[in-house]
Amino acid sequence: MPEIRVTPLGAGQDVGRSCILVSIGGKNVMLDCGMHMGFNDDRRFPDFSYITRNGRLTDFLDCVIISHFHLDHCGALPYFSEMVGYDGPIYMTHPTQAICPILLEDYRKIAVDKKGEANFFTSQMIKDCMKKVVAVHLHQTVQVDDELEIKAYYAGHVLGAAMFQIKVGSESVVYTGDYNMTPDRHLGAAWIDKCRPNLLITESTYATTIRDSKRCRERDFLKKVHEAVERGGKVLIPVFALGRAQELCILLETFWERMNLKAPIYFSTGLTEKANHYYKLFITWTNQKIRKTFVQRNMFEFKHIKAFDRAFADNPGPMVVFATPGMLHAGQSLQIFRKWAGNEKNMVIMPGYCVQGTVGHKILSGQRKLEMEGRQVLEVKMQVEYMSFSAHADAKGIMQLVGQAEPENVLLVHGEAKKMEFLKQKIEQEFRVSCYMPANGETVTLPTSPSIPVGISLGLLKREMAQGLLPDAKKPRLLHGTLIMKDSNFRLVSSEQALKELGLAEHQLRFTCRVHLHDPRKEQETAMRVYSHLKSVLKEHCVQHLPDGSVTVESILIQAAAHSEDPGTKVLLVSWTYQDEELGSHLTSLLKKGLPQAAS
Amino acid sequence: MESAEDWLVESLRLYQDFHAFDLSEATRVLEWIDDKGVCVAGYESLKKNEILHLLLPLRLSVKENQGLFPERDFKVRHGGFSDTSVFDLKHVPDTRLLVTSGLPGCHLHVWQVTEDSDVIQAVSTIAVQEEEGSLWPRVAIFSSMAPGVLHGARLRGLKVVDLETQKTTYSSGVGDSEELSSLQVLDADTFAFCCASGRLGLVDIRQKWAPSENAGPGPGAAARRWCAEVGGRRRGPGPSIASLGSDGQLCLLDPRDLCHPVSSGRCPVSAPSPAPELLRVTWAPGLDDCLAISGFDGTVQVYDATSWDGTGGQVEPVFTHRGHIFLEDNQTDTAPLVTTHTWHPHKPRTLLSAASDASLHVWDWVDHRAAC
Repeated sequence: MPEIRVTPLGAGQDVGRSCILVSIGGKNVMLDCGMHMGFNDDRRFPDFSYITRNGRLTDFLDCVIISHFHLDHCGALPYFSEMVGYDGPIYMTHPTQAICPILLEDYRKIAVDKKGEANFFTSQMIKDCMKKVVAVHLHQTVQVDDELEIKAYYAGHVLGAAMFQIKVGSESVVYTGDYNMTPDRHLGAAWIDKCRPNLLITESTYATTIRDSKRCRERDFLKKVHEAVERGGKVLIPVFALGRAQELCILLETFWERMNLKAPIYFSTGLTEKANHYYKLFITWTNQKIRKTFVQRNMFEFKHIKAFDRAFADNPGPMVVFATPGMLHAGQSLQIFRKWAGNEKNMVIMPGYCVQGTVGHKILSGQRKLEMEGRQVLEVKMQVEYMSFSAHADAKGIMQLVGQAEPENVLLVHGEAKKMEFLKQKIEQEFRVSCYMPANGETVTLPTSPSIPVGISLGLLKREMAQGLLPDAKKPRLLHGTLIMKDSNFRLVSSEQALKELGLAEHQLRFTCRVHLHDPRKEQETAMRVYSHLKSVLKEHCVQHLPDGSVTVESILIQAAAHSEDPGTKVLLVSWTYQDEELGSHLTSLLKKGLPQAAS
Repeated sequence: MESAEDWLVESLRLYQDFHAFDLSEATRVLEWIDDKGVCVAGYESLKKNEILHLLLPLRLSVKENQGLFPERDFKVRHGGFSDTSVFDLKHVPDTRLLVTSGLPGCHLHVWQVTEDSDVIQAVSTIAVQEEEGSLWPRVAIFSSMAPGVLHGARLRGLKVVDLETQKTTYSSGVGDSEELSSLQVLDADTFAFCCASGRLGLVDIRQKWAPSENAGPGPGAAARRWCAEVGGRRRGPGPSIASLGSDGQLCLLDPRDLCHPVSSGRCPVSAPSPAPELLRVTWAPGLDDCLAISGFDGTVQVYDATSWDGTGGQVEPVFTHRGHIFLEDNQTDTAPLVTTHTWHPHKPRTLLSAASDASLHVWDWVDHRAAC
């Protein structure tokens, strides 16, 4: 039975570690390869043994697809490809390809240098892994092989994030990765056409939430920054090199302009170069609509935001500084943090998740005394704020996307089944689809009824039409022909045409039956009697008496011969082709009953 | 007219905190389930409506270290489907039960919220004797070992029904056909009613019907519709009943003398309420003599009655929440109308308000008068 099978990999119900295995039309695809940031041991990786049981990963998997650069979607990729072993293609969008290795290297440094981990992937492994990447454009149909094709759709969320459609023949699956349906200041909202996949796989981490509006979250950020600056404090915002920083800069710039504020805003130098790099990636990534909202100039060159010099950190008075790295684990942001931590007028705003072991993680856990290098204790008196700017789809967003794509089935991953029964019912009722919620490691099997398009030859079609019956879309129609399967092409032609094309001769199957009749007369007379009898009984058939003495009924031939040993018995040879089997059998049983007595 | 952006900048000064949510359907109910969650429900007539139990963002529940809680979202803890519209929803205290009322008004529905599933299940229905076309029964709960449901669309149909046995334990027994607009249980034996005409009464269910009540509708009352609310935490003498008319008249009464309002004022509303059934007046649980009103337009207005001279002249709100107007999605031509509001049980200046465009706001307003 044709079916689609989906298995989310990894142990436990935790969020993070996105990695989903899909089998469709005989192809096996792995969607994302994420790292679970909360674990320090092997639990942070998805459980690949589920797949490796079948042999070599490269032989089993047709491709790997990465939706975006967040570590919980690509963090395990170098481990998977270089340490477990996979040499097939890895598909992702161009920006993802550019940014992934940067984040992977950052993460590797923290894990190995800060936490002293062994058995972690190396820088070389990251490079080798990225060599297997094939970058794709939005809405570009990519042929993985002659049967499997994939296509990326815009997902919003972060730069380069995409939703992927995986198609084999008439069966398809759409995987959303992380996406959002409400546009933010520089990334648009996710969009997909009415592609009607058999299955839509969507992350459901935020499925049971109703999100606070973007405006209110921005307001909160501005309020905090404003309050700190008003009281003469300094605000540190540690950011990753690319992504969120741009969004926040646009926001602050707009606000500073409107409020006519004078406090300086700085962007650390490393960020300025990366901003231009980001801009270039960005401009080729987004579509016309998004690009139009931007002015001719580089939107990421800001009027009020200037390049930072580390000497400025000691300047008196209020200021705002964006500095890398984002988790305060090293470099400039950590340096600035150490200078400003002791003053309660100052503030640090953490805009994202921080990995265990970093200073960012510690202060977000509430720690106020930190042990730094050389046993120095740093007392943190500055205000610590944790703000979430990530854009994820909530319940409403998921409903919107399902409405856009019109799938036959929906599958929710990364949620807790007990807490999503209501959403499941809501989706099922509103869209009349089945909704599945497998636990990690559990396989969902979806039976499908793929339609196979077959071309029918004109000759055959005409012949069928000549039968007189009109085609009825609701009733199946029995057709006789020959199905020719060549390459990926299916054609239905008449048997004669098939034989001609294939250069084959048609074999005729002929049956012959002997019927014994008691009749002492001559063969010719017996034949005559047979003819008269059949003519009167088989009125709807064409019965003929041929000059050579034989009788035909349609195309069936009856010949009378004398019995070799018994002159009183005549032997009727009844012969017919395979096509006339029914009439032939009927005729034979008729004749076996004997002939009526002739009138004298 | 200020743009949304301008208003947002202005809001930095006006609000300590502000959250704005978009529900999938508009609600007319906001009912607290302990102090961590609220129930909302849809009120459309021709489709299935959702009943949702929402948990407030954690940062609104914690007392310290608010800055370390980044999540600003509501969590849908439970959800259920109702075939009928929901105009009123009451939680039965100390149980996992909810009672809803709406149109058609021939039944009240009882629901259960369970711990191990997130689906709100329909449990039973309570038949309402009189079916009244477009009237629907108001509901209030007598909470006790055997909870009772007080309900009625008119004075004559007022009953208390035991939730478990469905037996009627109290009946008003009067033939009065006056239409009810609010019902409120005050303690184990007393409830307050307010009729659409403005007639108010306090009833002791241990006695035959003999409410202490006001004189009846005043002059020009026919044009107005009234609702009322008794202040929960009021201690000592002073008004604890607020009565709001659809023309903006707000009266404060002492329960011992319902005939003579202690104080009254005229709220500056641009026009009489377009949907008087949505009128709502509430007492602030954490602020003395503070009230909020809604149902006239897209605003919620907060008043401090201590500053009134009580003569019935124009009074000014100490705060007006305009968020529903400025943050409107521009989907429809009609301006949104605030359908209901409620105060946070222990954060003194935090309110929740819902509007006809399915928006739901949680806001903590700044009292600029406190500066002096």
